[in-house]
This record gives sequence, C-alpha cells and structure tokens, in this order.
Amino acid sequence: MIKIERLSKFYGKKQVLNSIDLEFKKGKIYGIVGENGAGKTTLFRCISGLESYKGNILSDFTELKDHLGLLLTEPYFFSKITGKEYIQLLANARQTEITKIENKNIFGLPLNQYASTYSTGMKKKLALTAILLQENNVFILDEPFNGVDIQSNLIITEIIKRFKKLEKTVIISSHIFSTLENTCDEIYLMKNGEIINKVEKADFKNLEKKMKEFTVGNKIDKLELK
Amino acid sequence: MIDFGIPLLIGYALLPSVFILLSYYLFQKTEFANYAYGLFALSFISKLSEPKRNDFLKSIFNKGKYKKLRISENILYSLPFTLFLIYQKQFVFSLILNLCVFVITLFNFSTDLNVTIPTPFSKKPFEFTIGFRKTFFVFPITYFLTYVSISVGNFNLGVFSMLLIGLTCFSYYPKMENEYFVWNYNLSPKEFLIEKTKTCLIYFTFLSLPIIMALSISFYREIDILIVFFLLCYAYLTSMIFAKYSSFPKEMNMSQGILIAISFMLPPVLLIFIPLFYSRSIKKLNALLND
Repeated sequence: MIKIERLSKFYGKKQVLNSIDLEFKKGKIYGIVGENGAGKTTLFRCISGLESYKGNILSDFTELKDHLGLLLTEPYFFSKITGKEYIQLLANARQTEITKIENKNIFGLPLNQYASTYSTGMKKKLALTAILLQENNVFILDEPFNGVDIQSNLIITEIIKRFKKLEKTVIISSHIFSTLENTCDEIYLMKNGEIINKVEKADFKNLEKKMKEFTVGNKIDKLELK
Repeated sequence: MIDFGIPLLIGYALLPSVFILLSYYLFQKTEFANYAYGLFALSFISKLSEPKRNDFLKSIFNKGKYKKLRISENILYSLPFTLFLIYQKQFVFSLILNLCVFVITLFNFSTDLNVTIPTPFSKKPFEFTIGFRKTFFVFPITYFLTYVSISVGNFNLGVFSMLLIGLTCFSYYPKMENEYFVWNYNLSPKEFLIEKTKTCLIYFTFLSLPIIMALSISFYREIDILIVFFLLCYAYLTSMIFAKYSSFPKEMNMSQGILIAISFMLPPVLLIFIPLFYSRSIKKLNALLND
C-alpha cells in the first residue's frame, strides 16, 4: 500500500501539486487523468523519490523506490547501448538476475541494435520490458500507450491485468481513456495540481461523458469552422 | 554571472592559462607529446562533426556557406593547438593537424554508424560499454606501441601505452548520466560508488593486462616503476568517478575540472582530492539513493 498525505510541490514560487491525499492499495490498478500540465508527471516523480516534496508518502516497503518500476513518458537512452544492454543495466541496478533475455522479448524488439536508433514506440516498449524484468511490486506507468502500435497496446493492457492477479499495485496515466477503462479499478482526475474527482469502475462511463463536457464544451464552436 | 561553478569572467581568463600550462606540462613530460597533442586536438575538434548538428546546419545554409562555416569553426577550434605546436617548433605536426582538420570538414564522416560494435563489457553497462565502442581503435594502437617498446627496448614507450589506456578509460566518465539511471540502483551511496569504482578498475585492469604482462616480463627490473604508474591510473580513475558524482545530478563543473587538472600536475594532491570528492558524492547521492 502507498499512502500519500498532504503532498505539495513547488517549483520556485509556482505550486504544481496542492495538498494531495491518495491511497494506492495492493492488487489494484489506478488511473490518473488530467490535462497536460495538471501535475501527473510531477506526482509520479514525487512518489518515486525523484523530486523533493512537502507532505508524507508512506508505504509497506522500507524503501519504496527499490520495489518500484517507473516508466517515464520519454525514457532516456544512451547513444551506444543496445536494447539488450539497456535491460541488463536496469536489472543490474536492482541486482536481478536475468537469463535468456531474448526469450522474454515479448514485443519482438531488435535487442542487438542500439536503443537510441529505436522509434518512439520501440523505446517505450524497451523501457517497459526493462522495468517488467526488474521484478517490481509497484509500477508507475506514465503514458505507457503513447506512440505504441495497436498490437503492443493489447499486450500492455494484458500485462496490466496480469499484475492485478499478481497483487501488484499499478498507477497509470494515459490520455487514451479506453485503455484506462479496460484496466483500472479507480480513476483520479487531476487539475491544476489537485485531485478534483475520484471515480469508481461503475462510474467510468459517466466520467468519460463528464470529461468530454468539461474538456470540449463549446470550445470548438469558437473556431467557427466552415 | 556564475556558470560552471566559478564566475564566468574568471573562467574565461583562466582557460587560456590552464591550456598553456597543461600543454607545457605535456611537452615536458614525454617525448611523444606531439602525437598525444594531435590526438587531443582532433578529438576536441571532432565534437563539431556530430551528424545531427551538421544536418541541422546543412538544412539552414547552402552548400558553399556550410563548407565555409565548418572550415572556419574547425580552424578556430584547432588554432590554440596549432599555435602551441608552432611555438614548440613542431611545424610538420601543426601542418598535419591542419590537414586533418580540413579533411574532417570535407568528408564530414559520421561517427554514429548503426553497426553494433561488439564489446567485452556488455554484462555491466554502461560506461565501458559505450566508451569501448567509441574508442575501440585506441587499444590495438596501444598494444602495438607496447610491442614496439619491447622491440626497441624503450620502457617509457610501454608505460606511455598503459597511460594511454588509463586516459582513454578516464574519458568514459566525465559525462553525467540521467538521474533515472542512478535512481534505479537499490544501493546506498557508498555501495553505489564502490560498485562503480570496482567495475571501472576491473575493466581497466582487463584492458591494460596485456601491456602490464608484456612489460613485466621484458623490463622486470623496472617493475616497481610500472606498478607505481599502474596504481596512479587506479587513483586517477577513482578520483574521476568521485569527482563526477560530487556534482550529481549536474555535469561536472569547471572547479572540479581544475582540481583534476591540478592533480595531473601534482599527483600527491590526490590524497586530499579523493576523500574530498568522495564525501561530496555521498552527500549528493543521498538525495536519490538509500541511506
């Protein structure tokens, strides 16, 4: 379990997270949605310990980050590291033994090529494979479906569902609502650094409708498209 | 006006002095300085040959202007080296350097080939894995120089070959990795630094072992000098790793660079700098790694 209490984050004078209270339970999948700049990535960086913050983040683990697989929106890659070596690097960092990496290459990536030459989607899939093989208990996936082909999209969705069975905690942010609807138990709506709504699975349909009204409204009319 | 950890104006004023001092030092220390100097100059200039950068320039300027610009910037970059070579009366070397600079501009060869270069360091990425792929051509040269040193009975040339490997490995470390790659480690700062240093020293030993073995057999009376230089390489590599993480998550700043430059001129100061860099690294890494 991860419990977030009164989490706030400032960049200089600008407040990007405002007294957030959240609880993520074992074996549950959580979605975080919100506009660009709502604070989702900052929230993830705070939970993972990549950012300092005000407030408390408590968990069942002595060191949460050692059990956390973090998929960044835009994963970083070195210039002359192959896909296989990238996986090895992240496994070594957690002292995880990986045997026969090729057999675990479920996305069919060219693992012997330099990862920096991969396409955006391939990079995302490689980064995801690497954190999956780290044997984590908690996963934070920031836009896991971005730039990924439909086949891999289905695989990622199934992986997330499998995590639920394995009693892992997964927190996902995505702009593709259907993928969240398929996988999440709860979805939180973020705006201007605050959680403004919590929606249970039964109300997902209403959330999509509400979001559409709230986000789109009559904005398109302003364009006076002809 | 603060940049690189020291005031910018002082930095600009210091830079030529540091360059001249280091150049002097190199030419005083070894008879092969002109070769090393040429290599330094070319590696410095090659930073301008990055394909992405040049593709961008090509998209802005027409062919003629692009060539003029590339030649001008390469000549500007090589100018301090050329002037010092002329001052040292190394006219042939200065001419060769400028010819190389011109050739680099004309052909604009890409150093970023998509061919995956095999490396013996795949098991523990990333510094040696990347570094080896960028500098793999240095190692046959050093082994050949060792062979020459033994053939002609020149111990100094053999030691120089080993130092060249040390210097090459040294160059694998200044660039700071993204904090994500440090964050991933489930080690304490102390364990992390030990792990990094251990990997570096093992891999350096692996690369320089053929030279050490060959020199130990051929010049067994001078084995004590060889050991001293070998341990010096260990000390410099360790100081480099600690210096790098002492500025984490930022890149190494100029003040750390100056301290390292001083240690090259006065090796005993490493006894002060290594613990200093180590304690600073621990403090910086504490923000991300476990206590």
